This record gives sequence, structure tokens and C-alpha cells, in this order.
Amino acid sequence: MNPLLKIRGLKKTFPLTSGIFRKASGHITAVDGVDLDIFADETLGLVGESGCGKTTLSKIILALEEADAGSVLFDQTDIRKARGVELAKLRKGIQVVFQDPFGSLNPRKRVGSIIEEPMIIHNEGTKRERREKTRELMSMVGLHEDMLDRYPHEFSGGQRQRICIARALAVHPRLLICDEPVSALDVSIQAQVINLLVDLQKKLNLSYLFISHNLSVVGYISHRIAVMYKGRIVELSQADSLFSRPLHPYTKCLMEAVPEPVPGRAKGFGYVKKGEGGLSGSLTGCPYQPLCPQATELCSKESPRFEEKEQGHFVACHRAG
Amino acid sequence: MNTGKEHHPSKKSTPAVESKGALLEIQDLHTHFHTPEGVVRALSGVDLRLNEGRTLGIVGESGCGKTVLALTILRLIPQPPGRIAKGKIFFQGVDLLSLDDKGIREIRGNKISMIFQEPMTSLNPVFTIGSQIEEVIALHQPHLATTRRQARDVTVQMLDMVGISSPGKRIDDYPHQLSGGMCQRIMIAMALACKPSLMIADEPTTALDVTTQAQILSLMKDLKDETGTSIILVTHDLGVVANSCDEVAVMYTGHVVEYAGIESIFASPLHPYTKGLMRSIPTIEARKRGEILHTIPGNVPMGKDVPQGCTFNNRCEEVMDICRKEYPPVFVPAEGHSVRCWRYRR
Ligand SMILES: Nc1ncnc2c1ncn2[C@@H]1O[C@H](COP(=O)(O)OP(=O)(O)OP(=O)(O)O)[C@@H](O)[C@H]1O
Ligand code: SF4
Ligand SMILES: [Mg+2]
Repeated sequence: MNPLLKIRGLKKTFPLTSGIFRKASGHITAVDGVDLDIFADETLGLVGESGCGKTTLSKIILALEEADAGSVLFDQTDIRKARGVELAKLRKGIQVVFQDPFGSLNPRKRVGSIIEEPMIIHNEGTKRERREKTRELMSMVGLHEDMLDRYPHEFSGGQRQRICIARALAVHPRLLICDEPVSALDVSIQAQVINLLVDLQKKLNLSYLFISHNLSVVGYISHRIAVMYKGRIVELSQADSLFSRPLHPYTKCLMEAVPEPVPGRAKGFGYVKKGEGGLSGSLTGCPYQPLCPQATELCSKESPRFEEKEQGHFVACHRAG
Repeated sequence: MNTGKEHHPSKKSTPAVESKGALLEIQDLHTHFHTPEGVVRALSGVDLRLNEGRTLGIVGESGCGKTVLALTILRLIPQPPGRIAKGKIFFQGVDLLSLDDKGIREIRGNKISMIFQEPMTSLNPVFTIGSQIEEVIALHQPHLATTRRQARDVTVQMLDMVGISSPGKRIDDYPHQLSGGMCQRIMIAMALACKPSLMIADEPTTALDVTTQAQILSLMKDLKDETGTSIILVTHDLGVVANSCDEVAVMYTGHVVEYAGIESIFASPLHPYTKGLMRSIPTIEARKRGEILHTIPGNVPMGKDVPQGCTFNNRCEEVMDICRKEYPPVFVPAEGHSVRCWRYRR
């Protein structure tokens, strides 16, 4: 089966500036040779700490950011090479929901026009049809149709995220990128939005790239999970086996760090190192080597290859079993 | 540190004294905000108790009054629009609300210190971190730093204690040169510089990565064990509570609706809101079982939307007639475990 989205060898570096004169002082590699597939009807979770490159990766997929190298095939067309009508078609197929439901909604526009907007951009339907569709979308995401003429500030955080989802779905995308979609929400509201996303996926045959730093949310919603560290995918597997048998020391560290709502389950924090960790420099070996409790000579010299260690379970680590 | 306006709802000359044992005891505390849309009862009758050397977690969803509670204890509520309308806050036997400006300023920073959610914005961007810590030491622990040299040495020690590597170099850095996690370590260093009896931390790790959060929480735990400081830890994360606290108070619409030791609250949550919160947490086990996540219907009500009677009655699965009429008093179904819910009336 061909994947819906196929990313190969993707690279993106940003110049690093320092001092008041913004002198270029090297560069930072935000995405460092990423290979990823997302299949139809699949949720691929992407976890990693802030600044590891998750958002840059999603911006490249959305054609909002130019990559330096590699390819992003959506339905077998390379997003990086597409222009004009072809690009517009690709853009329609991939929509996004961001973390901040406050910042991403225009405060001066009524909710109805916000949801309708993508249909106008992509020239869909008559005015009547678009209005009809907007109503349909609102009830699909659990908002009352009467709320059409209200402004974003009249909605709660969870409702605003529903508005963002409705808008993203207006032009029938096949892939929805969810970049920290529930991070700004309270737990009880977060659960409502997660249930909505799961439900919509079944109804509309959507694929999700679900980006979050919250492992338990990602674990709940994803079929497969990719762990990103300093621009690289260091581990990728089925959600279940990632949780039951994490192979990469960084993944183990992440799992250990998540505070579980169970008292007395004292954490050893064997993998969570004290101290603030090394900042990224020019490294020859494994990017996790400066913090890794399992590192050996080899790790500082040679970059580990991303290999399939068990069926469907990939990891980039010299020490992984 | 922070300099807010001073407030003194009642200026008695002799502070009232309360029962012994507790470091902090809050009784029937009310804080209101007078807004154009009407009065917001951010705290409407909070009772709480914290003993020496303990960590008390305050949990609840956005807008339930956690930050207002923290600010009220320190009398940092902006006034207007805010007003501490009623109540008592006994700290080491003295009612903080009865102190004059000078009195509360001495408590603040000397005996009680506070850490805020946004470490970047709480540090002054134009001074080096070293000079900011030195200033706190000079202000609150002058005997530790009679010379510049000494102040610098003490500061380096503090940075080292909170896990900043090469502190001798870092001391001359400006806040923007540090990561969020490092800034939060420095806030902790500053909060501890005055050797407080009580440290109030409002969402100290919410803006940080999980790995950094784990480091900061274990740092706070270690420092508490060393110095014996009591901690009030405000968070919306039940996982953080389970890992870091001894007791927990669950807040909803300005009330403490449940209070218990953490073993007890996680083993047998009583309030329907607490139960709902716990069941809303997604887990991989739940997904394996194909479960739909439990949700609490609706939203947290604010201002005039707060229902009459029990304020949770419009979202509650166990609502009864009386819940719509009267706000439930405190019931104590088990020792040390109290709850404001009519279900527990005997
Ligand atoms: N300066 C203010 N003016 C008016 N209302 C205020 C003010 N500060 C707080 N409030 C109100 O008091 C209530 C409690 O707010 P508070 O900030 O304590 O919530 P919180 O529990 O800390 O929430 P969060 O989890 O979002 O930090 C809210 O309804 C809020 O709108
Ligand atoms: S008092 Fe009634 S409405 Fe309130 S939480 Fe208890 S059962 Fe529910
Ligand atoms: Mg707050």
C-alpha cells in the first residue's frame, strides 16, 4: 500500500544569529534527514521536546516553509516541486489545527465566515451551498448552528478549538496536521476534543499527524508514534510496543519523566539527567550522546543508523537491543 | 522579587492568634473582582490547612481561582478591581490580613516566597541573573553577604545548588541567554535565597518540557527535604500532584471542593468533579481497551453562569434535588478526607 504522505531525506537548517548585531554564528539543523510515512486512516503521533523540529517539519509539509533537501510526496506528488494549480490542490488536501485556538482565529470575524473562508479560498460551491456546509460542519464538531453569527471571544477554549477543526475540515482534507491541538485545554475539555478527533477520523477517513509533547495523549490517540530528537526521528513503532518496549534511551527518558497520576510510584529518574543538558553543537556522533546514560566510545564517533530492530519497530541507537 | 500594591482589608493593631500546629490555616476566605460585567467571586469561602514541612497541591481547571488564592495569601491582589472581602489567613499564628503594609512586606520574601509560571517574564531582562540574586540576598539575608565578594560567592553556591552547571560563568548571563528550565531554576534559587518557611509555586513547570519538568520537580523535592520549607504547589496536572504532594485541595469555582492526603484521593476520589477529572486522563491502556475517554460535559462556568446551589450541578452525573437549591457544606466521610458534596450527607 502506498502511503498517503511519504517523506524522504528531509532537511532544513536555519542560520543562528547572536549578539545585538545579529551576526551569523553558524546554523541550527531543525530537521535533519527525516524519513516518515503516514498511511490512509492512520494517526501518526510525533513527540519530542520543544525546539526539536516538530513544528518546522509540519510547516514544510504544509508548504509554509521551504526545505533544503529531500522530498515530501502527498499522494505521490512532491509538495516541494508542485506549483500553481497542482500546489493549490495539495494544499487543500492537507489542513492544520494549531495549539492556540485564540491566536489562530480572527477576532473581528464571525464564526460562520471563519469556517467558510477555506471554501472561498478554494473556490468551492455557491454562497448558499457554503452556508449550508458551514452549518453542517458546526453541528459535526458539536457546536450549535445558532452560534454562526458570534465572534470568537464569545467561545470557550474548547469551543474555539472545535471552530478551528470545523474550518480545517471545510475543504475535505485527507490529512489533518494537529500541532499540539489540546495542549492549551483543561483535562476535561481536552478529553472532549480528543473524542471528537477520534470520531471524525472514523467518519471522514482522515489521516492525522498528531504532534504533542504530551505522551499520554499521543499514546491514547496514535496508531504509530515517532519520537523526534534534535531534528531526527530516533524511534518509530506501533504505539503499543513503544510504550511496552521503548528501545531508544531518549524515549525511555521521556516515559520516565511523565508524572503518572498514581501516588507512590516513585520515579528513579535514572534516565532523566540532572542539569540542563548540552546545547546543540556540531556533533559527529549520536545527537543524544551528551545526555545518554548508555553512551559508549562509538556513540560520540559515529551517527547510529535508523534500523528496524523488531518487526515495525525502528530505532537509531548503537545500544538498542 | 515582586512588588505589588499593598492591601489591608482590616487594620487591627494586635493580630489575632489561632490554634497551634499548622503553618498556614485559611478560614472562609473570599476574594472578589469588581468588573463591568459584575462581581466575580474568584474565591468564595476557602478553608485550608498546611502543616510544617508538607507539600500541598492545589488543582483545578483554568479560572477556578488557584492563582487568586496564591496572590491573596501574599496580599498581591490588584486593588481595584480586586478585594479580599472576608476571611482569615493565619501564618505561624498571625493573621496576614491583619498586618499593615510594613508587616506584610516583611513576611513576603522573608518567610513566604513565590515562584510564577512564566520564568522569563518574572526575571528582569536588563540585569544579570547574578545581580538579581545578590539583590535578594542583600535584602533578606544581609548577614550572609557583607561584602560584594561574599555576595557573589553565596550566589554561585545557590546557582550550584539548583543544578546550574558552571555557575561561576553563568552568574554574568542575562535572562534571555538562558533556557526556560534554567530560568525556572534561577527563580527557585531566588525564592530560596531568603530561606522561607513557605514557598508558593504557581504552575512552576507548566511552560517546560516533561524532562525539564521532572528535573525541576525533583529539585524542589530535594530542596524541601534539605531545608524543611513547606510548599504550596499550584498545578492543573494530577500527575504532578501524585508525584510531588502530600496533601491536595481540588478547587472548583472558587471553592475547595475536596481535600485529602494523596493516597486517599487517588485511591478513592469522592467529589464527582474529582472523579470526572481523573477519568478524563487519556492512557494507552484505555485505548487498547477501545474506550472512549470519559468527559465532563460543558465548560467551567464563570461569573453569572455559575449555577445556584452546588456550582457543579449543571455538569454533575450524580446531581440530586437539593444540589440545585443549596451549596453543600463540608462533609468528612473519612478521617482527613473532606468534601463539599451532598452525596456525603449522613
Ligand atoms: N484582575 C482580575 N480582574 C478580574 N477578574 C479576575 C482578575 N484576576 C482573576 N480574575 C478572575 O478570577 C477567577 C479566578 O482566576 P485565577 O486566575 O485564580 O484562575 P486559575 O485557577 O489560576 O486559572 P489558570 O489555571 O488558568 O491559571 C477567574 O474567573 C478570573 O477571571
Ligand atoms: S452536591 Fe450534588 S451536584 Fe454537587 S457535586 Fe455533589 S452530587 Fe453533584
Ligand atoms: Mg493560574
